[in-house]
Amino acid sequence: MAELNIQNVHMQFSGVVALDGVTFDVKEGEIFSLIGPNGSGKSTLFNCINGFNRPQNGSIKFNNINLLKKQPHQIITEGIARTFQNIQNVPYMTILDNILLGAHKRIDNKSTMKRWISRKQRQNEEAMGLEILDFLGIANYEQKYMAGQPYGIQKLTEIARALVAKPKLVLMDEPAAGMNEQETVEIAKIISEIREDLGITVLVVEHDMSLVMSISDRICVLDSGKILAIGQPEEVKNHPDVIKAFLGDSADA
Amino acid sequence: MRKITGLLVILGLLFIGCGKQAPAPGVTDTEILIGNIQDLSGPMKELGAVLPAGSNLYFRYINENGGVHGRQIKMIVEDHQYNPQKAVVAAKKLIEKDQVFCLYQVIGTSTTEAIRPLLAESGTPLIAPATQSGTMSDMSRPAGDLIFHTDTGYDKQTNILVDYIIKQDANAKIGLIYQDDDYGENVLKGAAEAEKRNGVSIQKEAYQRGATDFTGQVGNLIKGGVNNVIIAGIVKEPIIVMKTAAAMGYAPQFFGTSPTMDHRVALAAGPAGEGFIAANFAYLWNSDAPAAVQYRELCEKYEVPEAYMGMYHFYGFITAKILVEGLKRAGKNPTRKRLVNGLETLNKWESGAFPPITYSSKDHAATESVILVQVKDGVQTVITDWVD
Amino acid sequence: MEISVASSYYLFILNIAGIYIILSVGLDLLSGYTGLISLGHGAFLAIGAYTSAILVDQAGLPFMISLIISPLVAGLFGFVIGFPALRITGMYLGLTTMGFGFIVKRLIIALREWTQGAGGLEVSSPVIFGYTITSDWDNYYLIFTFVILAVIIGRKIGKSKIGRAFMAIRDSEQAAEASGINLAKYKMLAFFISGLFAGFAGALFAHTNHFISTDHFDMMLSIYFIIMVLVGGVSSIYGAVLGTLFIVLLDNLFVPLLGDWIHGYLNTNTGDIQLLIFGLIMFLFIIFQPLGLYGMWLKIRIYWRIFPFNPRKRFT
Repeated sequence: MAELNIQNVHMQFSGVVALDGVTFDVKEGEIFSLIGPNGSGKSTLFNCINGFNRPQNGSIKFNNINLLKKQPHQIITEGIARTFQNIQNVPYMTILDNILLGAHKRIDNKSTMKRWISRKQRQNEEAMGLEILDFLGIANYEQKYMAGQPYGIQKLTEIARALVAKPKLVLMDEPAAGMNEQETVEIAKIISEIREDLGITVLVVEHDMSLVMSISDRICVLDSGKILAIGQPEEVKNHPDVIKAFLGDSADA
Repeated sequence: MRKITGLLVILGLLFIGCGKQAPAPGVTDTEILIGNIQDLSGPMKELGAVLPAGSNLYFRYINENGGVHGRQIKMIVEDHQYNPQKAVVAAKKLIEKDQVFCLYQVIGTSTTEAIRPLLAESGTPLIAPATQSGTMSDMSRPAGDLIFHTDTGYDKQTNILVDYIIKQDANAKIGLIYQDDDYGENVLKGAAEAEKRNGVSIQKEAYQRGATDFTGQVGNLIKGGVNNVIIAGIVKEPIIVMKTAAAMGYAPQFFGTSPTMDHRVALAAGPAGEGFIAANFAYLWNSDAPAAVQYRELCEKYEVPEAYMGMYHFYGFITAKILVEGLKRAGKNPTRKRLVNGLETLNKWESGAFPPITYSSKDHAATESVILVQVKDGVQTVITDWVD
Repeated sequence: MEISVASSYYLFILNIAGIYIILSVGLDLLSGYTGLISLGHGAFLAIGAYTSAILVDQAGLPFMISLIISPLVAGLFGFVIGFPALRITGMYLGLTTMGFGFIVKRLIIALREWTQGAGGLEVSSPVIFGYTITSDWDNYYLIFTFVILAVIIGRKIGKSKIGRAFMAIRDSEQAAEASGINLAKYKMLAFFISGLFAGFAGALFAHTNHFISTDHFDMMLSIYFIIMVLVGGVSSIYGAVLGTLFIVLLDNLFVPLLGDWIHGYLNTNTGDIQLLIFGLIMFLFIIFQPLGLYGMWLKIRIYWRIFPFNPRKRFT
């Protein structure tokens, strides 16, 4: 059974077409990559899944639940978390608190009240964040303020915030953007581990071709809001349209 | 938690050793200290400079002539910016930190109302609050026995003005422009009484304190066919109202409550202000009344700048006369109680500017009457004797 | 002798600061944590004050009951003001809340029957379990008991998922929504909570001041409140406490002291330069110390902890 069904999604912003009949499925347990040049509609598609943008046409379903009927803040309860391309965090909050932000829906109001009088409840809450920090190998950063942390750490907390919600599907918007080669390799390892160890389906938008080719089960190439090609890395790499439109330069380089 | 409790205790310890006040605070062998709270930087700061200057003019004269029972009068002026909270802080400072003998001339109604609990608690008298609100002489209120009001209340003034208008023209259609604050509140009270007594209805138009546009209010009065308008403003408002009316081709008879009696109103309004009648609780500063004559002599002697001279400066001067009379009657060893008792012995006392003043232990309103002053050929002219 | 006599005056000022601290804690949760500027918090104080005065003196309810109802009424008003905040932010929200302040003033004048219009209202002393609170010392213990409670509750809220949600809304609405935070709900909640604190402060204000009028709650007061939060350091409850103490003491003790000195040079009144000083302080804090007084304290603490070892490095 396919988890995420995207059917004929059409979206335009005041006349400019951003997505033009995009259709694909992401299967459970898959690492699925979206690639394409700037302005090809990758982030718009993320925003559509996430509820920030409303497509004019088409349907987006997750486990047969229509996501287009949901408010942005309800998406995470359906099991979809996301990270942002430009880091979105709270600078004057500790890294642990930044991560616990993602656990918002896991902490009910009753336990929040309990936390005010019981130390135990607070520890339970913190344990949720520490678990993820351990997983990402940055546990020693928990009490540090976000402001002034290295870029790599900020990127990782971005991922941690998405994972702490215990999603079934995580949308990652350019996780390796701005990273050096070594960090990129690490990100690739983390993405694989998210699928292997946590059993989370990953939909990733990325520019770094080596990363995409090495981790993806399937790749979808977007150009000007249209799908050029879809398939396994090898198929996509050798697709003539893709080479012509997009891969041409970077494949040579 | 323990840290915070500790902090509380430390803050508390800072204040331990708080003692009771000396029997006659503010009085030494050579000096009597009094406190004054003015609006030095708020909406009425024009008055804040002038009023204490007028009082100091008289204190200077008294001090140079040996003071009161050999003691020099010294006045501390605080600023409340027309904010009641600040007035309380200032009064607290004057009473407990500076240890003044009494308070004097605190300006504004809400500001004076706000310090009532403090006065009652510390037993500090307040002489001549600079507001004509009738609530000041309400003896049933807290500290009513400590506040000596010198002026005729706004409510009373409004009553007198309405009566005067009805007497001139039994069919007069009366309008009222009032400030939407405590001042206006007291005017409204008087208007309601006058409506009831005379069986008339008054068209009431409110404006916000500090307003500079009265087109709407004047327009409404024109629509209502009003031919006698009472302006319960201060200095700026009557000028603008009358000029606006003139510009709109509307010429009713204008009246004003006591704050509008300043000669600047007549000067600045020009032709539009011709015929304007203001109620006044004292003789004019440029009249032949004994206090006014003395005032002008002293102004000349001490070279008071001309900009200061006028009704408000004079008001500071004549209320200082009442305070000094009270201090004299408090005797050689003044206490606050003796000051109150001394003032309560004033019986038809002639200040030379106010109508004869009588205080008693049951009545702290000095006067209940006004004179009416009309602008004729640009000059303020008294048109009635004391009316009440 | 002199110090002990004057101490009642300082105690009195400290009590004022205490009441304002309760309000600042709430305002910090709204403007500091959630980033929703309110220039109308004087109005919430007024609502709490008038509600409590009317409930106790006219409806005859006990003070302790009024201490529960008055904040709820102010909180309800906060809830209503929260609606426009769903669409507008920043300076426009500031203007809207400022307008709210004027509306409340009109409302107080219009409800003459209970509030005695603009004339002001006398208020009775607080009575707790049959004990009437009158002296400055009584007020001090009453007010600072609640100040401690307010600070504790404020910190609990700030450190819980609610506080995290507030800060996320301030810094990144997208991240907040993606994390499952209902923006509308939490913005309203911020206004409600902040109204509760202000209403509570208002009730204390009315009964310890014994007299309230529309002149007490003018726009400048609301602006002072925002300055207190800014100077103390946004999104820190201790910062709000420090900022409030700093501004109230500056306003009532140091500016008058400076006044005499300034008179020597300038022919002006203390009140006139006061705004100038406040403006300057706020300006300097925003430029050089955006984390406010609390941020300064943290830096000093770090400085002493690592004192002998290369302290300069940690300062930047």
